[in-house]
Amino acid sequence: MSEMKNDDFVNYELREFKLFEPLFRWARKKSLWIVAFCTGCGGIEMPPLATARYDFERFGIMPNPAPRMGDLFLITGYVTPKTLKRIIITYEMMQDPKYVLAHGSCPINGGVYWDSYNVVKQLDKYIPVDVAIAGCMPRAEAVMEGIMEIMRKIEDGTADGWKRYKENYEWYKKNQDELFGEGWREKDARRWLAWI
Amino acid sequence: MDMNEKPKVEEKVQEVPEVEAQQLPETKEGKLVAEILRKAPYAEGSVRRARRVEFKVPADRIKEFLELTSEKFEMLMQISVVDWIKEGEFELVYQLWSVSESVHAFVRTRVPRENAKLPTVMDIWPVAETYEREAHEFFGIIFEGNPRLGPFILEPREYEKHPLRKDFNTLAYAKTIYGEDFDRYDESKTNYVI
Ligand code: SF4
Repeated sequence: MSEMKNDDFVNYELREFKLFEPLFRWARKKSLWIVAFCTGCGGIEMPPLATARYDFERFGIMPNPAPRMGDLFLITGYVTPKTLKRIIITYEMMQDPKYVLAHGSCPINGGVYWDSYNVVKQLDKYIPVDVAIAGCMPRAEAVMEGIMEIMRKIEDGTADGWKRYKENYEWYKKNQDELFGEGWREKDARRWLAWI
Repeated sequence: MDMNEKPKVEEKVQEVPEVEAQQLPETKEGKLVAEILRKAPYAEGSVRRARRVEFKVPADRIKEFLELTSEKFEMLMQISVVDWIKEGEFELVYQLWSVSESVHAFVRTRVPRENAKLPTVMDIWPVAETYEREAHEFFGIIFEGNPRLGPFILEPREYEKHPLRKDFNTLAYAKTIYGEDFDRYDESKTNYVI
C-alpha cells in the first residue's frame, strides 16, 4: 500500500464508491459553493445573479470565501500573470471534485486584450476549464445558462477538469513555468502562503 | 483658383491662436490664472472653459511653480504622462483640483525622453508618491527624491521595458510571452481571434 500513487488513489476511490456515484453526483450538482475570486469586469454580473432578480441560491449555489470549502471556481474575466499565480494556488487549494467556469471571451482567447502585454491569452493552458461562456460581457442569463451547463456536466460525469489536472499535471506545470519562470511557487507563492 | 485660395486659409489659421492665447476672461478662472501668472511670469496660462484652466511650465521650474500653485490648488489628483515620440519628449500633466475655488488645473511640462528626470513633489502632496511610482514604472521617468521608485504593479520583466512607451512593441512582446497560438493577422491559424 505504501507504493500507492496519486492516480491509484483516485482510481481506488472511484472504484469503491461506484455504486453511490449517481447519488453523489446529484448531490454535488445541487450544492455548488462558489469560490468568490472576481478577476475582471465580469465580476459585476455576480450581484444581479445573487440578488432578488436571478437569485442563484435557489439552486443551492452559495458564494463562499474559503477555497477549502468551495467546489465551483468562477474566473470572471481577464486574467493577468499576477492574478494567474493566485488563481493557480487557489485552485490547487480547493478540494476535489472542483469545477471551473470561465466568464467572457477574455479567458478564452484574450478578448479585447488580444495583444495586450499583461493579459493571459488562453486560461485553458494553465488550469483546466470545464465550461466557458462566450460574450463580452456575458449577461446574468448567460452565466445562469453556464451554471446549468456545468450542472448537466456534473450529473453525466463530463465535468472532469480536476481529473485532467491530475493526469496532465506535467503539461500544465510546463505551461505555468514557461510563463512565470521556474521556481515561481517558491519565490512568490511562499510569500503569501507560508506553508507551501 | 484652388492654388490662390489655399494661402488665404493658412493665414487665417495662423492668426486665430495668437489672439485667443493672450486674453484672460473676467471670470473667477481668469482672475485665478492672472494671479498665479503674476507670481510666476515664466509660465503660460490660459482658461479652457468654465472650471478648467491650463498652465505650461518649463521643466526646470516645475517644482517651484507647483509649490506656488499649491496654495490655491490643494489637491493633486493625478500625474499623467503623454509620450510624444516624434518630438522625443515626455509631457507630464499634473492635474490639480482647487477645493476652495472648484477649479481643475492642468499643469503641463515637457522633458526629453532620454533619461527623463524631474524633482519629486512628494513634499508638497504626499500622495504624489504613488503617482510618481506609476509614471516611473510605465514610462521610466526618474523622480529624484522619491524613495520608493522601482517595480510596483508590473512583473519585473515588463518593468524593464516600460510598456506604455510608444516604442514598446506590444504585439511582439505578447507573442513571445504567451505563445503564437493567437495571431490576429494570420487567418490560417486554427485559433483565429476576432
Ligand atoms: S470578456 Fe469583456 S467583460 Fe469580460 S473581462 Fe473581458 S473585457 Fe471584461
